[in-house]
Amino acid sequence: MLIEINDVWREYKVGRAAPVQALRGVTLGIEQAEFVALLGRSGSGKSTLMNLIGGLDRPTSGSIIVAGEKLGEMSSRKLSLYRRKRVGFVFQSFNLLPAFPAWENVAVPMAFAGVPRAERKRRALDLLGRVGLGERAGHKPGELSGGEQQRVAVARALSLEPALILADEPTGNLDSATSAQIMALIKDQHAHGVAVVMVTHDPDLATQYATRTVRMADGRVVEPVVAVPEAHP
Amino acid sequence: MSFAGVLTMALEGLRRKKGRASLTALGIFVSVLALTLIIGLGEGLTAAISDTLTSDDNLRQILLMPGFGERAENKGEEIVIIGEMSEARRARLKRAAMARAEMRVMAGRRTSLIDDASIARLNKIDHVTGIRPLVFERYDVTMDDQQTQATLTFGLDTERKRFAQRVVAGNYFSGPRAGEVLVHEYLLYQWGFVTEAQQANLVGKQLTLKTQDIAAAGAGALPQGITEALRNIEFTEEEHKALTTILPKVAASMGGREALQTAASKTLTIVGILRENEPSEPVAWGEVSLADVFLPDGTAQELFSAGALSAQLGYQRAMVYVDDPVNVVVVEEALKHAGYSAYSVASFVKQAQQALGIVTIILSFLTGVALIVATLGIVNTMVTSVLERTREIGIWKAVGATDLQVQAIFVTESALIGLVGGLVGLGAAAAAMIPGNILARRMILEQTTLPFSGNVFQLPLYLILAGPALGAAVAVLAAIYPARRAAKVDPVKALRHD
Repeated sequence: MLIEINDVWREYKVGRAAPVQALRGVTLGIEQAEFVALLGRSGSGKSTLMNLIGGLDRPTSGSIIVAGEKLGEMSSRKLSLYRRKRVGFVFQSFNLLPAFPAWENVAVPMAFAGVPRAERKRRALDLLGRVGLGERAGHKPGELSGGEQQRVAVARALSLEPALILADEPTGNLDSATSAQIMALIKDQHAHGVAVVMVTHDPDLATQYATRTVRMADGRVVEPVVAVPEAHP
Repeated sequence: MSFAGVLTMALEGLRRKKGRASLTALGIFVSVLALTLIIGLGEGLTAAISDTLTSDDNLRQILLMPGFGERAENKGEEIVIIGEMSEARRARLKRAAMARAEMRVMAGRRTSLIDDASIARLNKIDHVTGIRPLVFERYDVTMDDQQTQATLTFGLDTERKRFAQRVVAGNYFSGPRAGEVLVHEYLLYQWGFVTEAQQANLVGKQLTLKTQDIAAAGAGALPQGITEALRNIEFTEEEHKALTTILPKVAASMGGREALQTAASKTLTIVGILRENEPSEPVAWGEVSLADVFLPDGTAQELFSAGALSAQLGYQRAMVYVDDPVNVVVVEEALKHAGYSAYSVASFVKQAQQALGIVTIILSFLTGVALIVATLGIVNTMVTSVLERTREIGIWKAVGATDLQVQAIFVTESALIGLVGGLVGLGAAAAAMIPGNILARRMILEQTTLPFSGNVFQLPLYLILAGPALGAAVAVLAAIYPARRAAKVDPVKALRHD
């Protein structure tokens, strides 16, 4: 088991209003070879769960165990190292650094990991070549199309060879043709043994790429479904 | 992350907000500029004071003058204020009476003379290596049909050859008791010998010095104006006689010379012509540089002693030589204790440097306030920067930046602002010092007679290092709060897509 999620609750306090319960006792296990789609409407808690798995956030109660270690009990520094070494994030809004050219964006995680600059550049250019952007390495995000930007983001997620890719609506801002290219890249990583957890509200995407779909509603897992095509209304 | 990585991130942050970063650095720039100039000025002036005043062994010398005795103490007991009045008023009047009594006691009393006996006595003070009377006296000078009254003369220490380089024709003295004089070129010019050739021709001629009568009698007590006036009036023989009887008494009653100078005169050979001192040439402590006729000091003492006045009044000044500059203060105290007035360059330099040090500290403190304001400016800029780059910080954290790395980026960014501000401030100060030094040197030479050739502003190595280091250090301090804030950014909130 790669990730064990046991009865995880996540409560947000916003001002003086009653606390919002984003997750209400989620229990879930994810294997190394899986491609899990977290499917649900907006506000269902799927992004919150993904942030917890990625170590960007800590649960209010319950535990998330990755390779025998509880994320919630890690120091801030260990959690940073966990994100750096094991997780690659892909976001809906790309989240690239606008001032840096594509290759430097890909190299940012390596910079924090202390990889020497020459080595960073070599590896970043290689990764960009693999996502089909070898010619665009010197362009800044503003000069790239949405699909190209997301490919840069995927290359960045892969730069330190993570065991887990966390993709939050990775195709949410892209047209269908471009979406297919991005999904193909992610799928390819899965084929190479990288576990993928993808947040989406699109049942088709889940069906098409995931090995397992987990439906969420109101902060709970509704019905774990194992790779069975859903009925279309 | 390597330092180079942090630097890349920090430089990028600065590059994007060049204008703001520059304005923030301006505060540090101004502070470091002012601080460097102030401390540089303090350094330069301190050095200038000691260099200028301590040339020619001045630090080992103490200028000695006759004292007027210890202040009269306990005189108040004899003074009684009578009559009906309040105690406050009685005390006030008594205070007034005492002050006046003290003034009368002081006046006219040279209690400690500089004569051969006292010189022998003072010579025994520890660390004193010698005492040399400084003889400067006004004589009527006559050469052929040329005459000038009340010409200032000065006895030179013939062992020290400083004046030798000012001899433009003829030679320097052959010995301390030689019957020779050096004449200033200006006196000869006044006598009508205009060209250098005319003046050089006078070498070898005889010149007579004669003590003054009337003016000498009043000297030291009568106001300068009166002595000058007396000199310019043609008296009849009877009037002259009457005046020479009365004036010494008048002078004595006012505390001046109590006897009429015995007429003395001496005929000497002009051995050389002396040019005026150049501004760049040092003036020795206690030297009478405005004299028109210079004598070997032995000859000057002989002539001075020939007058009856000297026996009573002693020399006006003497130079006390001390074995080592560190002992000057002790000897100076001993001389004062013996009832003399004593002045040394060493204690003057010390006082001046202390005063300068205090002024420098006060000014630096004011500049420090400017530095604090600049620091707050950096805090402000960095906090704004953190707020603006929340999303970017979120990205850094998502890809694995530790809190420490996030802090390092902001601290480095701030340190760069401080360092650049400091470096530019240092550069500007160094550049400003060049015209500043030229201007100051010109002003000093125009407005004083000090032979000044040094730099008023100085930039020692510690100051070169201190400016940029201070700028960077202050900026690092300023970044602590913003950097901690950056480290606390919640990546989930920062990355929440809009």
